[in-house]
Amino acid sequence: MNANKNEILISVRDLKKYYKGDKIKALDGISNDIRRGEVVCIIGPSGSGKSTFLRSLNLLEVPTGGTINFAGQILTDRKTDINLCRQKMGMVFQHFNLFPHMTVMRNMTLAPMKLLGKTQEEAESRAMQLLTRVGLADRAQSYPSQLSGGQKQRIAIVRAMAMDPDVILFDEPTSALDPEMVGEVLDLMKALAEDGMTMVIVTHEMGFAREVADRIIFVDGGKIVEEGTPEEFFTNPKNPRLKDFLSKVL
Amino acid sequence: MDWFTKLVEEFEVAFIVDNRWKYIVSGIGSTLLLTFLSLVLGVVIGIVIAAVRSTYDKQYTDMRAGIGKTLLNIGNGFCKCYLTIFRGTPVMVQILIIFFVIMASSRNKMLCGVVAFGLNSAAYVAEIIRGGIMSIDPGQTEAGRSLGLNYVQTMAYIVLPQAFKNILPALANEFITLLKETSVAGYVGVTDLTRGANIIRGITYQSFWPLFAIAAIYLAMVMFFTWLVGKLERRLKNSER
Ligand SMILES: Nc1ncnc2c1ncn2[C@@H]1O[C@H](COP(=O)(O)OP(=O)(O)OP(=O)(O)O)[C@@H](O)[C@H]1O
Ligand SMILES: [Mg+2]
Repeated sequence: MNANKNEILISVRDLKKYYKGDKIKALDGISNDIRRGEVVCIIGPSGSGKSTFLRSLNLLEVPTGGTINFAGQILTDRKTDINLCRQKMGMVFQHFNLFPHMTVMRNMTLAPMKLLGKTQEEAESRAMQLLTRVGLADRAQSYPSQLSGGQKQRIAIVRAMAMDPDVILFDEPTSALDPEMVGEVLDLMKALAEDGMTMVIVTHEMGFAREVADRIIFVDGGKIVEEGTPEEFFTNPKNPRLKDFLSKVL
Repeated sequence: MDWFTKLVEEFEVAFIVDNRWKYIVSGIGSTLLLTFLSLVLGVVIGIVIAAVRSTYDKQYTDMRAGIGKTLLNIGNGFCKCYLTIFRGTPVMVQILIIFFVIMASSRNKMLCGVVAFGLNSAAYVAEIIRGGIMSIDPGQTEAGRSLGLNYVQTMAYIVLPQAFKNILPALANEFITLLKETSVAGYVGVTDLTRGANIIRGITYQSFWPLFAIAAIYLAMVMFFTWLVGKLERRLKNSER
């Protein structure tokens, strides 16, 4: 994995997403390269297009224009098998979206069994391994309703990891959590980052972004307004809109 | 006590003589069978219609132009017509058309009945199921799709199982409605419960006992199934998250 550290994993060119004809330009021409092993945090004001950008990366939102290249596959090309590509792009949602009618174990083994052709034993032993890692092995047979918010989100993260993805996309993973549970989720994400997982994270947690991100992207009005290392970003912001934003959130 | 003796005599004539009660018992069996099979057919067709309709609602705007989109458009139009026709005309008229026009050559009255009531019921079941599908948080679909499951897999493993749990009481109520509605099936030759009573009336020239008897039986069945649905609803509520 380290050998490819500089390989570009996701390459986005001139990505556009319009709603209501072209009245709402949620994404107004975004270009960016995300390298393998990189942790990219996306910040910006509400309604700036952060979620739309993230959700376009795995085509949950179908872009109006532009291209996305993921590991050599052009996702925006209709001939590309998007389901196959999504297996390699995990996603973690603000509201967890665990499957409430399935146990934690089943949540984690469904996709590996249906899509990767794993046997139940293989899928369950991998799930157990991941659950042990996040300290939730004893909750394998619980249903999501029996878990706290922080536990649900940690399960959602390991559910994504059970597919052994090349990248995980996070859309405000801690925004729906009670404050006392934010830490446990951020700690897990930090550990993933240290393991070299490629991560794209929409977040309002500036402290986390500063500490964990390799690169921060500031989005406003559907455009990338500024990007850089956390250093540059927080100590020497250039764009007035970013300065304004940071003065409000810090 | 003259009237009482008369009543007992009539009861004997209606049910005991020549084992006429057998018309009633076999009628109960036919009614339950007709209701059950019609609901099964209704659910099967209903799922197909609901799948087309909700796929259209959810996916159409995001779909890229092509053969799939065209087919979905046609399918959705067809389903809408189906719903309009079957919900906009009387059941009895639909039954007459199926018995005397569409399936006129069929000897199997029960089969005709199942087809007629099943097609009718499907129109109602489809909307129940569609409502159930639409009631599931879109985040569930997104989670399934983001793992790489395709649309059909996401429906089958994630959305439909949750939707079915929500709509089970409504489906059970449809069974009860259907149970009563099938009482007109006798007019086209299905030997259901109502038909059983009419046969006895034809033989004995008296109506009191046969009609009140089947009324009581329908009522008892409806009350029993209503009780069962209530129990089911409470069970589902208890297993709620
Ligand atoms: N389905 C939709 N229809 C119309 N407009 C939409 C739709 N989805 C998003 N938008 C608009 O696109 C813009 C970007 O939305 P998006 O959800 O990406 O913002 P965001 O940066 O994630 O905001 P937040 O921080 O509030 O989550 C907003 O103006 C929003 O109103
Ligand atoms: Mg958002």
